[in-house]
Amino acid sequence: MPVSVYIPTPFRRATANAARVDVDAGDVQQLLEQLEGRFEGLRGLVRDEQGQVHHHVNVYVNGEEIGDLQGQATPLKAGDEVSIIPALAGGA
Amino acid sequence: MTGAGPGAAESGPGGGAADPLLTAAELAAIHRHAVADYPAECCGVLLVRGGARPERRLMPCRNIQDELHAREPARFPRTARTAYYIAPEDLLEIGRREGDGFEVRVIYHSHVDAGAYFSETDRRNAMVDGVPAYADTTYVVVSVAAGRIADTRAHRWDPGAATFVEVPLALAEAPAGRESR
Repeated sequence: MPVSVYIPTPFRRATANAARVDVDAGDVQQLLEQLEGRFEGLRGLVRDEQGQVHHHVNVYVNGEEIGDLQGQATPLKAGDEVSIIPALAGGA
Repeated sequence: MTGAGPGAAESGPGGGAADPLLTAAELAAIHRHAVADYPAECCGVLLVRGGARPERRLMPCRNIQDELHAREPARFPRTARTAYYIAPEDLLEIGRREGDGFEVRVIYHSHVDAGAYFSETDRRNAMVDGVPAYADTTYVVVSVAAGRIADTRAHRWDPGAATFVEVPLALAEAPAGRESR
């Protein structure tokens, strides 16, 4: 089931500058695995070695953060939109 | 308060011919935001969609650093007085607009009773896996001292030096166009 994934500027160096990628996946974990398989450079950027999404990265499904859904087990259906967005933070 | 807040400024198609880093109106809006949020750090972005008729949208964002600190003080030891963390809903909105062709021209935040330098925290958080997250974006830092604007400086990634360096804060008069508050 095709799902559209939004790739933000900071991660596009890993996707040959593609801003959107279509992925066939049943849940977020499958989606991330497929992305990492297709774009080697994404490996480590989005998830750590244990497969957990980095704290400074937010994954949204149709605008809802997966932490408020079922995490990486969040199911996906055709037409869903997934965004993977790193934090913007700093300070004095 | 996506796109709202104390200083939203927007100019639509038909703006000026110049393509400055910031217009005077945008800087004034950033300054209002910084003063309004004092003694917390403010944060936001300027989104620009290029082309013959560029669109500019200043987007004040919500700093959720205090919420993070309250929830996980060990992981987020700082409060909003010395740190910012743009709210997820604002990140998503930025992403949506990037998808619509906007680019993040400026990321701004304030320093409370501290200088307008680009701190080690700023530098560290501006990098993703050793590479600048937004290599073509200018980071604007506003110093607010005792509730008043004290200084404003711009910083940008220098690929030759492989570090962030201060750059001139080039301004222009506000182009014709609508401006919202």
